[in-house]
Amino acid sequence: MEYAGEHLFIGKLGNLFTILAFAFSLLSALAYFLAERKNDSTYLRIGRTAFWIHSLSVIGMVTVLFVMIFNQYFEYHYVWQHSNTDMPMKYIFSCFWEGVEGSFMIWTFWHVVLGMILMRSVGQWEAPVMSIIGSVQVFMVSMLLGTYFFDYRLGSNPFTMLLREHPDFQNLPLFQNPSYTEVIDGRGLNPLLQNYWMVIHPPLVLFGYATAIVPFAYAIAGLWRRNYLEWIKPAIPWTFFGIGVLGTGVLMGGAWAYESLSFGGFWAWDPVENSSLVPWLTMVGAGHLMLIQRNKGTSTFSVFLFTTITFCLVQYASFLTKSGVLGDSSVHSFTDLGMTGQLAISLGFFVVLSIVLILVNMKAFPKPEKEESIWSREFWMFVGALVLFVSSFQIGFSTSFPVINKIFGTDFAPSADRLEYYNRWQMPFAIVVALLVAITQFLKYSKTDPKTLLRNVVVSASISAIITIAVGVGMSMTNPFYLTMMFSASLATTANLDYWVRILNGKLKNAGASIAHIGFGLLLIGILISTSQSKIISANTSLYDISVLGDDFNNNENILLMQNDTLIMGDYFVCYKGKREEGYYVHYEVEYMKPNEQGELESVFTLYPFLQLNPRMGNVAEPYTRHYWHKDIYTHITYAEIEDREGKIKSEEHQIELGDTIFTRTSFMVFDSLDRSPSQRFGGLTPADLAVGAMFTMYDVDTKAHQLEPLFVLRNREYAMTVADSIPDLGIKISFEGIDPEKERFKFRVLEKAPKFNDFIVMKAIIFPGINILWIGCIVMALGTFFAMYSRLRRS
Amino acid sequence: MKKTHIALIVVIAILIGAMITAINDSSSYADFSEAFENPGEEFHVVGKLDKEKEMVYDPMTNPDLFVFHMTDINNEEHKVFLHKSKPQDFERSEQIVLIGKVENGEFHANEILMKCPSKYTDGEISEKAQASL
Repeated sequence: MEYAGEHLFIGKLGNLFTILAFAFSLLSALAYFLAERKNDSTYLRIGRTAFWIHSLSVIGMVTVLFVMIFNQYFEYHYVWQHSNTDMPMKYIFSCFWEGVEGSFMIWTFWHVVLGMILMRSVGQWEAPVMSIIGSVQVFMVSMLLGTYFFDYRLGSNPFTMLLREHPDFQNLPLFQNPSYTEVIDGRGLNPLLQNYWMVIHPPLVLFGYATAIVPFAYAIAGLWRRNYLEWIKPAIPWTFFGIGVLGTGVLMGGAWAYESLSFGGFWAWDPVENSSLVPWLTMVGAGHLMLIQRNKGTSTFSVFLFTTITFCLVQYASFLTKSGVLGDSSVHSFTDLGMTGQLAISLGFFVVLSIVLILVNMKAFPKPEKEESIWSREFWMFVGALVLFVSSFQIGFSTSFPVINKIFGTDFAPSADRLEYYNRWQMPFAIVVALLVAITQFLKYSKTDPKTLLRNVVVSASISAIITIAVGVGMSMTNPFYLTMMFSASLATTANLDYWVRILNGKLKNAGASIAHIGFGLLLIGILISTSQSKIISANTSLYDISVLGDDFNNNENILLMQNDTLIMGDYFVCYKGKREEGYYVHYEVEYMKPNEQGELESVFTLYPFLQLNPRMGNVAEPYTRHYWHKDIYTHITYAEIEDREGKIKSEEHQIELGDTIFTRTSFMVFDSLDRSPSQRFGGLTPADLAVGAMFTMYDVDTKAHQLEPLFVLRNREYAMTVADSIPDLGIKISFEGIDPEKERFKFRVLEKAPKFNDFIVMKAIIFPGINILWIGCIVMALGTFFAMYSRLRRS
Repeated sequence: MKKTHIALIVVIAILIGAMITAINDSSSYADFSEAFENPGEEFHVVGKLDKEKEMVYDPMTNPDLFVFHMTDINNEEHKVFLHKSKPQDFERSEQIVLIGKVENGEFHANEILMKCPSKYTDGEISEKAQASL
């Protein structure tokens, strides 16, 4: 069938850019490779030009995809799959990187940006560094090719037409219309991603991932040239830049989870979160080892190991999230696009390349003449890097269960209580790292007098002890592990503050590291307080005893709120006031109140947790949080009925005598007397009718009396009919259906509408104390890191 | 012996420790029969919601209990008790993973993971709202 209105040109343009990007990354890698091998500037020029064309093509790809999404060309599979007409334009960026293809494209784009900067700034390292970057780009762009090699599809192309991707759609009625493009709508963006955090978090994490390429390319270049040391100096600022960017990106993911996922916290040890944290930890290790290497000439092997491992872990993170292997174990990984093999090959290539090059060169690494002293900065920095490595290994290994299961056919599943499991391991690591962060600044490279060290930290240690005791008493924190962590994190903060004020005289110059370490200490304090002291204040108030099942099942975390009822919850009185629908959202109004001096309830604040209704991807609950400087009150809906319940009608027959009582669910009625001449009340009756009324007095729950008089009528004395009476407010209707003159019994039918079901919500409310310390810590740490990088660049 | 070597040995010891505890603390994927043979032990049971059987969620009495029937991969069906509120959109789930254990001959779960219909296989096509009028 010939279709009209398809925008074919732009797709062809996208494909052209893809092929050019692929071909020229290959050419650039090869030319730079030859330039290095043959030391020929002609090849260097070819490499440069090829990388330029490659870069422009990648920019072209990004532009084309944006234009497609922006103009809503739903005849393209990617656009159809990730956006629709209902979606607000501000989320257009989220659509772009919702899919595997888009996120690869952004990653490739960041590599291009970094590559362009490096090409001009690396100087004599240009040929090997750019050759590595070019070859990484070959793998990256291959993920977007979508061409078939025999039966294997290489990559997934974002510029594929919908009908090509889904040939079966041709039989659908919509595609019998030649101008289907005018009516087709997209599938829409996952509601979880329709969030402002999602506009910035993914590209930032991807930028962080991308930065790992720079130290990696330098390190490989160093091994390649057998020049093991000179590359480190220019690589240091890049590594710390990466630490800052990736760290911010990862923590921003935490902020997203906290603000708009109903995880109930900022970190859930979800595999996708873990896979981004693992390379960050090794990257921090690599950065610090490079500092040791520069200052003392030791740890050469470790520098190479950590730098290459960081890059491989970034590739591994992408493998985990994009291959679909996490499937069951993560809430937010991508779906399998059949690229698992390709991703594994790409990962394997860089792992093997790194291992082989390190092994071949290892013997030639410069050896330190004498062993470092135990009272030296480099020794403890080295230990710190090792702890970070162990920490990242523990997280990485546990996150890799799905991969281990795939390879070895085992059936390990992550521990059900992930938080407990990871925290138990990571807390000791955090304590050790915090202590190292606190003390190492005061150690000099080579050798320090232990007494000087002691004198330097004694003040900070005393202050930290006081803080720890204050927190322990004030927040009734008794767990010795928590108190130890509180102490070490406070020490990390105060000792670095002390170092900045006393040793650096409070000058900003050279203070980057101290500031970053202060931020790190604050971050740990914030994590500890907000996590360990968080309190679920919503509790099951029902009488149903669930404790018989043991503590494991005592999930006493949700509260049921009937509309307009006020219940006590923690220090507050809460009331669910009602709901408001707005497009795809249902907002629930929950008022938090406290009694004032007169004992009257006064509103303190109102929260609007909401549900996002999405017919395609399911309903999603999103929290609403009240922020105070010292604590947050976080509320989210765990259950609500979206559709109003229909009141069911109950019908019941009663055969009673005069003076009897009929009971209904909400009232009772007494059959007082018979009215033998009810005609005047009912206009419909004719003089020929024979009518009898049954007089009832009905009492409702408020013991209000109502009069009811259903009639039994013999029309024209021939056939029986009834005239029912009702009280609509109570949902009660009664009809008089017959008389048994012999037994003097009367037959009535009572119709009772179930009382209108009251609206209710089930919600969870958690107090997170001190979570602002965490966010402040993040910001301070990031600022310090960038500042350290800046001053290092200015010095050189 | 060099200090670095001591540090490395300690590191390797912790690495091995981490691996062993990771495996020890792990739960495992299983079917109902295995879970019922080992009461008190935690398992991840993969299965499907039985939509024919009744689902009971009565937040009035207990907002933290949801009872339904699940059929595991071997078509074995059991009544299960989820000690959480009923997940939103539960009826639409395609596959569920229950994390829990058998107590008193009943399967009690603390945690549930749901897989909703994949957006890639669903062949539904929608039209723009105004255009279809």
